[in-house]
Amino acid sequence: MSDPRKAPDHEPTTHFGYQNVPESQKAEKVAEVFHSVAAKYDLMNDLMSGGIHRLWKRFTLELSGVRPGNRVLDIAGGTGDLTRQFSRLVGPAGEVVLADINASMLKVGRDRLLDKGVAGNVAFVQADAEKLPFPDNHFDVVTIAFGLRNVTHKDDALRSMLRVLKPGGRLLVLEFSKPGNPLLSKAYDAYSFTLLPLMGKLITRDADSYRYLAESIRMHPDQDTLKAMMVEAGFERVSYHNMTGGIVALHRGIKP
Amino acid sequence: MLRQALLAGVEAGLDRVLRLDPTARPRLARLAGKVIEVQGRAPDLHLFLLPGEDGIRLAGHWEAPADCVLRAPLSSLLRLATAHDKVAVLHGPEVELDGDSSALLDLAEVLQDLELDWEYELSRWLGPVAAGLLGGQARSSGRHARQTLESLKDTLADYLAEESRVLVGRREAEARFAELDDLKLALDRLDARVERLIQQAKPTA
Repeated sequence: MSDPRKAPDHEPTTHFGYQNVPESQKAEKVAEVFHSVAAKYDLMNDLMSGGIHRLWKRFTLELSGVRPGNRVLDIAGGTGDLTRQFSRLVGPAGEVVLADINASMLKVGRDRLLDKGVAGNVAFVQADAEKLPFPDNHFDVVTIAFGLRNVTHKDDALRSMLRVLKPGGRLLVLEFSKPGNPLLSKAYDAYSFTLLPLMGKLITRDADSYRYLAESIRMHPDQDTLKAMMVEAGFERVSYHNMTGGIVALHRGIKP
Repeated sequence: MLRQALLAGVEAGLDRVLRLDPTARPRLARLAGKVIEVQGRAPDLHLFLLPGEDGIRLAGHWEAPADCVLRAPLSSLLRLATAHDKVAVLHGPEVELDGDSSALLDLAEVLQDLELDWEYELSRWLGPVAAGLLGGQARSSGRHARQTLESLKDTLADYLAEESRVLVGRREAEARFAELDDLKLALDRLDARVERLIQQAKPTA
């Protein structure tokens, strides 16, 4: 019997961490990773970044320009860190959509937000960033935090985000990037490929998923490449801010 | 990132204080959506305050336009933070307000009216009996300290006015002021009388 996941010979491949896999299998493999880590995702984020991911998200909020009554789409919103803050900022007249392709992450996010009393102006949608199921010119702000590197066709995803944004609306991409300092880069590599899988093994009993996270970060486009991709997709006034020495970068683009 | 960390720390501390007054958060919720920009001078400080039902969010940068801008020297801002009568400080000459000043005045009022229930916070950690005992002890000590301070103030005033005669006593000063007022009135009357006599002495045309 043939393996249903086996791709036809002519199918183009893409990277899954350091492996090359047929494009049709990447989403499924990424989904497996996040199904595995969903329950302890927040704890692991805090441990892996020493809590600094909260500061990176604070900065994202500051640059979002969100105001009461706005419509916000939080793609790959996972456990809802940004959605919770956006919900407060847009108020009852606004709306925040937490979208994630992964049902486990979406469920954890929904439960967590409901436990914290965040409701009324928040909707939860399981959606693929490459084919967003929303009307054109619908959102004032679209964010994707630590999600773009897991998307198979990043260009398609950026174009899809542009489509759902209103003219003048802004896209914010928060993602791991390339440290500028070679010394920091070496230390970061050592940390990512030794300590990170070890922590993953101890806490979620899944070293492979965390090894994938480290590898996927290395395969993600650097700051200038992503900026060029956003310009290519049709965004204007694209700029980026490095944080923590370039380990993370926040890209911002405006829909013309 | 350092500034983000600092603001996050201050925000968490402020949040803890606001939790001690159960009326603060509902009042802050009425200000949800307002953005207050604070521009401090000497040294420069730029801060955004975003009140809401879960406290006051602080930001070093905010893209959306502010509803109200407060400009003041840092010394005035510190006075504003520590003064009991915050509204009086906001009306000071060196403080400038632009935009919807009611948002800032409302926020100042909420902070001014904070009545912190320390005993409740203690009871969460130590239990109701220990918190009650500690609270009672603290209140009694506070009362005693206030009485001692009042007594010391009175004694010092008495000594300076009556014993050492360095200062004039309040009652003595008030009596002198009353005499001066009488004298001023008498002078005014005399002035008016002289003026009238001059008018009478003038030959009629």
